[in-house]
Amino acid sequence: MKEYTLLSILSVFLVLMLDIFLRTNLRKRKLFWFFILVIILFKFIVNGYLTGKNIVIYNPVFFMDLRIGSIPVEDFIFGFSMVTLTIIFWEYFRKQRA
Amino acid sequence: MSKYAILLILSGIIPLILSFWPPLQFYRNLRALIISLALVIIIFGAWDIFAVWRGHWSFDPQGVWPLRFINLPIEEWLFFIVIPFCCIFTWEALKLIKGKSR
Repeated sequence: MKEYTLLSILSVFLVLMLDIFLRTNLRKRKLFWFFILVIILFKFIVNGYLTGKNIVIYNPVFFMDLRIGSIPVEDFIFGFSMVTLTIIFWEYFRKQRA
Repeated sequence: MSKYAILLILSGIIPLILSFWPPLQFYRNLRALIISLALVIIIFGAWDIFAVWRGHWSFDPQGVWPLRFINLPIEEWLFFIVIPFCCIFTWEALKLIKGKSR
């Protein structure tokens, strides 16, 4: 498997483990998956621009070169991990204070 | 202004303004917000530094400012603040909408 592909999949596992470990349990909430859908729509604009205008250039040695529009599939997986991790931290530290 | 910088401004401006809207009251959770964004920028910044060092991806000099921190353009660092902020904003907005519809 290509390096970026492997890293992105690995990151999803780590993030979901943190969701279990910190008991934020986002993966069990319907609203969270709806939120991910909304984020994907925004992602098409932002990531679509970055990749469509070739502001970020990918090396075919390290990714599958399978794209949705101009966006590499791995970017969706990377994005899912980043967004989910952000919300896990936010929910965890927000509740910690209360 | 670089293309990437304009994209970040357009992405972040509306969430930033609306985050001061009283029902959302982001400033009440400023501590959680700062910690969350700091952790994300450290973790994903590290991934990005590694990826650029390995050559997974690179940046078009025409699309970004020439200024680099470590091996990443300043816009890429700002990306890890602006986008997670937009995500938290969207998440809170959805929670608010869901709560109101009940």
